[in-house]
Amino acid sequence: MSEPTHLSLTMQHRQGTLAFDAAFELTRPWTVLFGPSGSGKTTVLRAIAGLMRPATGRIVLGFAPARVLFDRTEGIYMPAHRRGVRLAAQVATLFPNMTVQENIAYGVPPAAMEVVDETLQRFHLERLAETMPWKLSGGERQRTAVARAAASATTLGGSGLLLLDEPFAGLDLRLRDDLLRDLRSWLAETHTPVLSVTHDVGEAFQLGAEVIKFADGRVLQQGPVEAVLAEERERLLDQLSGGGVRKA
Amino acid sequence: MDFEALWLTLRLAAGTTAILLVAGLPLAWWIASGRGAGRAVVQALVALPLVLPPTVVGFYLLVMLGPLTAPGRLLIRLFGHSLAFSFSGLLVGSVIYSLPFAVQPLVAGFGSVDRGYTEAAAGLGASPWRTFRTVVMPLTRGSLLTSAVLAFTHTVGEFGVVLMLGGNIPGATQTLSISLYDQVQDFNYAAANRTALALVIISLAALIVIYSRRGSGLGRGELV
Repeated sequence: MSEPTHLSLTMQHRQGTLAFDAAFELTRPWTVLFGPSGSGKTTVLRAIAGLMRPATGRIVLGFAPARVLFDRTEGIYMPAHRRGVRLAAQVATLFPNMTVQENIAYGVPPAAMEVVDETLQRFHLERLAETMPWKLSGGERQRTAVARAAASATTLGGSGLLLLDEPFAGLDLRLRDDLLRDLRSWLAETHTPVLSVTHDVGEAFQLGAEVIKFADGRVLQQGPVEAVLAEERERLLDQLSGGGVRKA
Repeated sequence: MDFEALWLTLRLAAGTTAILLVAGLPLAWWIASGRGAGRAVVQALVALPLVLPPTVVGFYLLVMLGPLTAPGRLLIRLFGHSLAFSFSGLLVGSVIYSLPFAVQPLVAGFGSVDRGYTEAAAGLGASPWRTFRTVVMPLTRGSLLTSAVLAFTHTVGEFGVVLMLGGNIPGATQTLSISLYDQVQDFNYAAANRTALALVIISLAALIVIYSRRGSGLGRGELV
């Protein structure tokens, strides 16, 4: 059994100092960082990915063996490409000089190239394999970006971590459901742990995930989605049934 | 037509361009990536030849390459003779004088690459070198070409620095622009006309290469 993944970091955020202290075991394959927009969720993912350096703190990925990605006191700062962490950013930034297939192959080691075809198939991107990114729709771009990060993460075995920043934002509901289902089953098959960010209650429930509730740069609660987001779920159901409108 | 001067000019321009591309790439990347306290100072030094009269650059290089300075004495010990009034000396002078023409298009090109691309590559496990090689360089091919062409044509058209540093030795330091000056001094306008026309053709061809590239790389996402 792996040790808990421990994240403890503080950094300057545009709304002030961001503090994040959470230790969690990846008991479920998918952990969700849930919180309102602007609460610093993206900043946390970027710090884990090594795209920004926290002012203080410690980031440990508790796989066997545990990897210290950052420790201010001990002066450890592991470069992004050595962390075994893959990130799909909120804005789907595909390499404009590469086709969809080349984009997906970018993070896949030469010895595991069969993953590329599998990814194209799983994400229904086969017919777009040779297409350049500028010819894609927003949804196709988003799908390719998530597929690219996921393909790379699955080649890391269970020791990697996939970070997804609002991966389904901007997609229509049906496409989102398809993509989410495919992605969840594939990552579960390959034992790839995921930490994703969302402010969507429905999405968190759909993932059936462990949830870290986050607001104003702090962890408020952590646990199974049914327990942590029960109140949000009730509020959402109330709004859907018209109660929210009546209260307003 | 002074073919000896033409050949020497082309050799000088090709050598200068090759050296500037090798040295200019890391320098431009360092400037564009915005790290390091001395960046503004280095940027100013790189751009200095743009604003200084060529004779000033030539004079200081002449002094620097001579036995009065430590670098000059070191070079004399390495080569066995002073680099002033030699082809090697011209090469050193051309590299310094054309430095901004090679570096500035590269800095602009690197600066135009969206940070999202380099972060996406890092987020997929690519090392900084791989990111530079596979993402940044392909996106800035147009800037690389502009840099090479400007360095080449600027060297072809050099006059002041070449005259100060190399003198006017046929076959050793006499370039086309100095040959043209000699021909005019001798009232040999027919020869001067041919030499001037050769310089115009080289420069025009180089500029056509740059402008014909503009927009052609967009299909592959190139930032021109």
